[in-house]
This record gives sequence, structure tokens and C-alpha cells, in this order.
Amino acid sequence: MNLYQQHILPYARKYNKTILSTILLGTLTILSAAMLTFTSGYLISRTSERPETILLVYIPIVAVRTFGISRAALRYVERLLGHNAVLKIIADMRVQLYHVLEPQALFIRSRFQTGDLLGALADDIEHLQDVYIRTLFPTVIGLFLFSFSVIVLAVYDWKFALIMAVLLAIVTFMYPMLSLYMMKKNQLQSKKLHSQLYNTMTEGIFGLRDWIISGRKQQFLASFKEESHASHAIDKKLAYWQQSRTMQLQVFSGLLVLVVGVWAGQQAAAGSLAPTYIAAFTLVTLPILEGLIPVSFAIERLPAYEASLQRIDAIHQQNTAEEPIAMELSRADQVSIVLDNVGYRYEGQKENAVQNISLTIQPGEKVAVLGKSGAGKSTLIQLLLGTVQPTEGQVHVNEQAASLYGDSIFEIMSVLNQKPYLFATTVQNNIKLGDASATFEDVQRVAEQVGLFEYLQSLPEGLKTQMEETGQRFSGGERQRIALARILLKQTPVVILDEPTVGLDPVTEHSLVETLHHSLEDKTVVWITHHLMGMEKMDRIIFMDGGEVIMNGTHKELLATNERYQQLYALDQGI
Amino acid sequence: MDKYLLQYKGSKQVMVWIGLLTVVQSIAIVIQAIYLAKAITQLFQGADWSEALRSFVIFVVANSVRHVIQWAKERISYRFADLTAKDYEQQLLKKIFDLGPQVVGKYGSGHLVTLGLEGVPKFRKYVELLIPRTLAMAIVPFVIVGYVFTLDIMSAVTLIIVLPILIIFLILIGLVSKKKIDEQMDTYRLLSRHFVDSLRGIVTLKYLGRSRAHEESIAIVSNKYRIATNRSLRYAFLSSFSLDFFASLSVAVVAVELGLRLINGQILLEPSLAILILAPEFFSPVRELGNDFHATADGKDASLQIHSILEEETVVQPVIVSPIATWNDKSKIELRNVEVKIDEQTIFEGLDLELQGFTKVGVIGHSGAGKSTLIDVLSGFTLPTDGSCVLDGQELPHLAIADWQKQIAYIPQHPTIFPDTVIGNIRFYEPDATLQEVQDAAERVGLDLLIATFPAGYEERIGAGGRVLSGGEEQRIALARSLLQRRQILLFDEPTAHLDIETEHELKQMILPLLEDKLVVFATHRIHWMQEMDTIVVLENGKVVETGSHEQLLQQDGAYCRLLEARGRGHAV
Repeated sequence: MNLYQQHILPYARKYNKTILSTILLGTLTILSAAMLTFTSGYLISRTSERPETILLVYIPIVAVRTFGISRAALRYVERLLGHNAVLKIIADMRVQLYHVLEPQALFIRSRFQTGDLLGALADDIEHLQDVYIRTLFPTVIGLFLFSFSVIVLAVYDWKFALIMAVLLAIVTFMYPMLSLYMMKKNQLQSKKLHSQLYNTMTEGIFGLRDWIISGRKQQFLASFKEESHASHAIDKKLAYWQQSRTMQLQVFSGLLVLVVGVWAGQQAAAGSLAPTYIAAFTLVTLPILEGLIPVSFAIERLPAYEASLQRIDAIHQQNTAEEPIAMELSRADQVSIVLDNVGYRYEGQKENAVQNISLTIQPGEKVAVLGKSGAGKSTLIQLLLGTVQPTEGQVHVNEQAASLYGDSIFEIMSVLNQKPYLFATTVQNNIKLGDASATFEDVQRVAEQVGLFEYLQSLPEGLKTQMEETGQRFSGGERQRIALARILLKQTPVVILDEPTVGLDPVTEHSLVETLHHSLEDKTVVWITHHLMGMEKMDRIIFMDGGEVIMNGTHKELLATNERYQQLYALDQGI
Repeated sequence: MDKYLLQYKGSKQVMVWIGLLTVVQSIAIVIQAIYLAKAITQLFQGADWSEALRSFVIFVVANSVRHVIQWAKERISYRFADLTAKDYEQQLLKKIFDLGPQVVGKYGSGHLVTLGLEGVPKFRKYVELLIPRTLAMAIVPFVIVGYVFTLDIMSAVTLIIVLPILIIFLILIGLVSKKKIDEQMDTYRLLSRHFVDSLRGIVTLKYLGRSRAHEESIAIVSNKYRIATNRSLRYAFLSSFSLDFFASLSVAVVAVELGLRLINGQILLEPSLAILILAPEFFSPVRELGNDFHATADGKDASLQIHSILEEETVVQPVIVSPIATWNDKSKIELRNVEVKIDEQTIFEGLDLELQGFTKVGVIGHSGAGKSTLIDVLSGFTLPTDGSCVLDGQELPHLAIADWQKQIAYIPQHPTIFPDTVIGNIRFYEPDATLQEVQDAAERVGLDLLIATFPAGYEERIGAGGRVLSGGEEQRIALARSLLQRRQILLFDEPTAHLDIETEHELKQMILPLLEDKLVVFATHRIHWMQEMDTIVVLENGKVVETGSHEQLLQQDGAYCRLLEARGRGHAV
């Protein structure tokens, strides 16, 4: 319930007017249907008394026609209004989620070790639309209808209204609660089995070769079958329950018609109700119940939202971010970086991720960093960017602690990583992310610098070519070039390259390395790399191992004196 | 109706049963209306309630019968849909496994997973609704209107006229709104992807210093999205609007019509009430059909996709005359004039290659030259579209033969790490291997030190949802697997290119001894491996252009040398 209070109610409150109008319209829709039955029942009974003139039934005739039309119109408006309200809420939820996610952007991966958490979160917000459309609206509409019917009856006969309140409460409260209670376990189990099946299926498809080669194909198929049957079985249980529930409620509705009919007959006999209303009251029972029956389904769904709400909540919980102090700094063109005996240990870890690192990077210097995975290269980048504070020693950027810069560090340093994200918009827009005020000429210039200009020109849409989802339209090398163009446009004095050539074939790798050297000539470059291609052009090469710097020198020095470097270089060259 | 419907097991019985039940149900609906009308009329005419009770009870019984039948229909169709969906799910998966990795490449792994997990339930829903909804549409309105005819011709005619108009209108509106919605589908998709795009790109935005400002653009785009959605919903909801509109309007028309004739004494109260009660029931099947339109459209789509995969041609397994012997130093395999086409694209044409005994063969070439395809042909995952494979004198159309595949160990660039324990992963191919054997293998590939740091040791879970391994560690798992397999033929597909140079160096030291006394085919970009090979095969545009040892090829100054130059080796030395 707490989760609803935090992540659903505030929005409902914010848009209370639209939501309330939607609910009112929803109630009116059902009432229209009810009134159509009510008035036509009355009309027919009244006309069967053969009134002298048609004018006596003029009002009911108009009413019947009005309700005949209004139901459809109201429903149409209600649906549009409801979706509009929910889309507004979704927009707010997105902004809110982004707002709490943004400060922790760089740590999401390390904090939540799940595959595509971000994709899942986006889906979660979509999914939570249902909280409003499928649960909140029908439930509140049901409650309104319930109250309305009981109050109207009470005007005629409060004792009978009380009886009906109890009977209708069976449909409006007892069955929904019963459904929730009985099916909660199954709902959760169904979700669990579905995600289990998802994992198994993914495992099967991605490991298809292995299953086939290992001769364990049958085994996989058998285990998949078992899991899928379990999942289908629980779905069946849920569906059967819904079918049986609907049947029970419908049979119960029939009984209620009888109760209301007999009551109306007695009232008419006693003279407290005109006989012309017998048909009206009796017939109106069914449409009213049609509005109450969906409440069970709406309430039963509650457990299905839990996982989404929990995931979103987890992100909110992690948001410890105090607003970082954005330092006022003049845009420096000359940047020197000094690491003084720096060490860093992740919370809860026994060993330092990096230690004893002392390093001075002069403006314009080109430094390559090599090392195995886990050697501390990524931590080194985070220290340089000031996104983590060293637990020992100090990192200074232009004589200021790097961590003091906050987000403004990115005005000085750019990062080109292994998989730069390209947005599903045009190439030009992607490049202009580096500098929103850039002119078309600026974009052309950087495209030329990264050697893409001619190729882009040859495309029918030129720079306006769509990247498509995650930049699929372009090859790996081209994607890196576009990302590089973006960085060039940004014109920061320092560029950090975080293994930008992984996954490229040697020819592409070679030409990208050439471009990198060429276009970053006047910048300070820290280049984390997995291969030795292009090392001869770097001013300094640093080898990291176990969080420490174990080799440090120019390419020539290392090649002349260091046996390990010789071996690796020979390996990379293939000689 | 669906052309596959009759293929589904038991669909005919289900249709017969549901058809019969629907007929009985329609009769129950009519009886229910008759007796409700009767009861009300009795009360209206001043009869004592106990007198009307009999009619009321008949109404309640008829109503109950009607809904119990509905329940039975739903249960029968759910059961049928459930069995059919389960059956098709199994068939689909089996088909994917029969077709192998090629089908994954063709349809995309993500698509197949979605089809299996979301498509199957949609398909189930579709099958579940298809029969009862169609039959209800075909039976209920006719029974009802038939009865109304006996009461009042005028009302029956009204109902009969409205139904086709309603359906025509529905189709017209459907067409118009589909066109309108399709028109803005691209904008719509772009806008709807914006948020997930922003979330996935949040790190990049951060690096560009744009992440804070981007919040605003999320608000703006979400708003645009809302407006665009509203616009298309206006059309999308039109069809259910028109259904509601015509249905309730014609009920109103019938009611007023009846009222007018009641005044004139042309009809009595009881039949009028019965007609009034039956009028909405007349429209209810078509309304249900309309409301379920989207659910069934999605399901039908899924059904077509599932069927199109099931209709893919499966490999015709060749009749193998003599069993295939274990590979030894005298064995020989030849690819003769092999051609491979995938989706109209020619990968190989006229490819000839001979592999013999325990040799180490390096395969090198530009990306796209066909290195991986060659490995796939050898492992039997890609079937030549022409030419033949001659294995120890036996001519075979392809190598998808269990006896052959059993001899192969395959080490790809990204080995699959299953969400399982370390031990489960290492002995994936040999589930019967003992802990001792697994430990020995792990030690030989240098995994023992890493595993010792895991709290649960060999029982530690790795892969999705467990501990994440680095590329080098994954490769060691793959090597440990192949050690347990003890196979005679090793196929490598670019196992080290993505690793850092030190890890590559370490792995190389580990891999080299494993290659002795095996047939090795090693496809890679990384040239240093070539010196360890007995023969190098240089591929260019799907053809073997050079073969020979490293030294020989260096002297030839041909394709091999050009390949080395293209990667900048020339000026580095």
C-alpha cells in the first residue's frame, strides 16, 4: 500500500480534476445505459395504459432517445479523457524517474546487476497506466454506482435499500476482496513463472548452438516444456477462476432481478410505487450490475503491479543525491591533471581497486593506459572525472579537487566509451548533442574531421539520415566516428577514450585509430586501450595491474627495455 | 475464419460442442426474456407477487442456464486454446532447434523470444475467442430475431436492417481510422521510443554534460506523444463508439416504436417488454466481437508469425550409408565447389577446401569474407546450397550429421554462459563429468584461482542474474568445457579479438598446448595466431585465394601480405 502512496497517489492527486471527471463520465455512461433501460421500461408500461395523447409520454420518449445516444457519446469522451489524464501522469512519472536516475547515471550498472534495467523501467511506467485505466477507474466507478443505487432506493424505501446494499456489497466488495485474497498467490506465481520462462527461453535461443552440439537438445526441450506447462497451468487457474466468478455473479444478478421485481410488485400493490415503474426498476438491475461486476477484475489485478512499483521504488531509494555543488569555473583551455598517491576502495570491499597512483598529465599530453580487465582502469576514469572521491591521496584538475567540479567536469573532459549511445534521431542531431548552438557548418566540419563527411553526403538524406534504433543504420566503426564528431564539437581540452575500438575488425580499428590521432592532436588524451595499435604515437604508456601502475614510459623506451612489453607488442603485430 | 483453424487438434469437436451450446443458450436467452416480461406484466396488472414468482423463478433458472452454458463454452474454448497454444509453443521451439542458429539469425533472437513468450499467450487468447465469438455471431442474433418476428414484425425488421448497417459502418470506420493511425505511425513510434532511448543513453548524456537539461526534453516529448496519441485514439475509439451508438440507438428506436404502437393498441405489453429485453441481446455478439477486435488482431498476427516459422523447410537428413569414423590422423574432409546463399546473398561460391588428419588450419580474411560461415559449414550449422562435402570418401550434401557434430568442439567469440553454477557451466557438454574432472579442467585453463575467490566456489552462480565474468574468464570457461569434451576437432571463431592484449597473451599460452593432435580450424583477425598454424587459408569474397604456411605466404606477397598492410602493419615496423 505504501508503494501506491508514494508512486501512484501523488499523481492522482495532482490530476484530481481530470481523473474525477473521467470517473464521473464513466459513472454517467453506465447510468445512461441503466436509464435507457429504465425509461424504456417505464415508457412501455405507461403507453400500455393507453394514455389519451402521446404528449403524456413525450418526456419519456425524449429521454429514451437521449439515453440511447448519450451512452455511446459519454463513453467515447470518457475514454479519451481517461487516456489523456493517464498520459499526462505517465509524462510526469517519466520526468520524475529520470530526475532521480540522472544523478546516479554513472553507477546504475554497478548498483543494479540486472540485464536491461533501464528498458525494464521504461516498460514499468507503461505498465503502470493500467493501475489507472484498469483498476482505479473501474473501481471508483463501481463505488459511485453502488452508492448512487443505494441512495436512490433509500428515497423510496430505506429498509429495502439496506437489504440491497448488503446484496450489492457482495458484488462490489466481497467478491473483489475474495478474488484478491484467493488469487494473490497465483498472480505472483504466474508472474514469477513467466519471468522464469523468459530466462529459460533466452538461455535456449542464445545458447542454441551449445544445446545442439552438446546433444542436450532434448533435455532442454523437455525442461522448457515442463516450465511452460507450469506457467500455462497457473494461467489456466486464473482464467478458470475468472470464468467461474463471472458465472456466479451473473447467476446472482438474475436472483437480484427477482428480488427487485418482487419488491417493486409489493410496493405497487401497497400503492407506494406507481405500477408503471415495476418494469423500470426490475429491468434496471442488470445494467447496474454490469457496472459492478468489473470491480472484481480490477481489484484482482493489484498484485500484478507490485513488481513494477518495487523496481521504481528501488531507484527512488537509491537516490541519495544531494545537489552537487556546481562550481563556477572559467572554461579552461589548458588543463593539467595531477594524481598524488591516489587509492580507492569500493564500499564493502576488502581490497583497494586502485592504489599508489601518482601521475601528472600535462596539457596536450597523450597517455595510453593498458591493463587487464579488473586492473583498475575504469576506476581510474571515475577518479579523473571526479565521480568518485579517492579514499587516499588526491586527484587535482587545474589545482582543484576533481570531485568538486560536479557535472561541470564534462565541460573540460569528454569521454568516448566502448559503446557510445546514439539516439534514434538524425545524424546531425546526434552530433549536435555536443553543442546545441553549433551551426550546420560546424557539424559539417567535425563530420569531415572524423572522415564521415563524404559517406554521409552520399546518403540521400545526408546529415539528416535517421540513426534508427541504437544507431543500427551504421556499422560499428561509423558509430564510433559519429560519437567522436560529437565530442569534437564539444571542444573540451581533455578527451578520455575508454576502449573505443573493442569489437572492431583490424582494418576498421586501424583507420579509426588513425582518425583519433589525427583529430585529437591538440588535446590532452587519456586512452584506455586493449590493443597496442597506435601506441607508438602516444607520449606515454602506463600499464596497470592489480590497481597499480607497473610500467610507465614511452613506446620506444618500453620496447627497448621491457621484455613483457616486447612480447605483447610482438603478439599484437603478429610477427 | 482462420485457415489454420481446422488444423488445430480437436477443433471440429469444439466447434460442434460450442455450436450446440450456443443454440441452447440462445433459447435460454429467449425464455429468460419471455418470463421476465411475463412476471413484470403480471405484477403490472396487479397480480399478487406470489403469482408472479413462478415466472420470476423460471426467469432465474433460464438466466442461470444461460450463464452456466456461457461458463461451459468459455471453459471448453479455454481448454482447447490452452492445449493448442502449448502444442504450438512446443512445435515452435522444436522447430527453432531443428533449424539451428540460422533461423535465429534470420528472425533475430529478440524477436523469437518475444514471439515465444508474448506471442503464444496472444495466440491462445485468439484461439480462445475465435470459435465462440464467431459462432455466437452466427447463431444468437438469428434465434432472437426469429422469435421477435413471431411477436412483432416491425421490430424484427428494424433489428434486421440495423445490423448490416452497423457492420458496414464498422468496417468503414475501421478502414478510415487505420489509415489515419498508420499515417502518423512513424512519428508515433519515434516519440514513444524517446523515453527508453533517453534512459539507455543516460550515461552518454551525462558525459556530454547534457543529462540535466534533457529532463526538460523528456517532458516536452512526452507531451507531444500524449497529443499524438490522443489524436490517434480519437480514431481508434470511433469503432467502439459506433458500435455502442448504433446498438443503443436502435434499442431506443425499438422502444419508442413499441410505445407508439402500444398507445394505438396494436401490440400488448408482454410481447413489447420481451422485445425490449431481447433487443440489446441481439446486438451483444457483434459488440463483443468489436470489443475483442484488438486482442484477436494481435493474436492472429502472432499466429501467422508462428506458422511462418513452422513452415520453414527443415533440413532433409541424408541417409548415411556407413557410419562416420572417429577423426584420426588419416581422416580427410573436402569441401567441393561449395556454395552458400543466405537470404539471396551469396556468401560462398565455388569454394574448395581440403582438411586432413591432425593439422592446424588458420582462416583469415577481411570482415565479411566468410570466415564464420566456413566454420558454420564445417560444424553443420549452415547448409551448403550447392556442392558437396566429402568425408573419408563419402559424399555428403552437408555436415549436419550427429555422428560428425559429436566430434566437434566449438569455441566462439562470445561463448554462452548459462545462468547456472560454475560447475554446471563447465560441464555443460559433459553433464556426467565428476567434480575432480571439472577441477582439473579449470586448473588447466587457469580458472582455479578465480573460483577460489568465490564464496560458493564451484557452486557459485554465474551468467544472467549471477556473477558477471569478464571476456577472458568467459573464454576460459569455454576452454574448460572443450577440455572435458575430449574431442578431435576444434573449431575456433575469433576467440580473442575482443580481449585486452595481456589476457590474449595469457590465453594463447593456454590454448596452444590444447591444439596438439587435433584437427584445428582457427578463424581470426589476429595475425599472431597464424604463425602457430600449419596451413593458412586466406578468404576473400567467399573464395579461397591463398593457402600455405605463414612464411610461404609472406614470400608470395599476395593477398596475405595485402591483408597485413591494410591494418597498418607496414609503417609500424
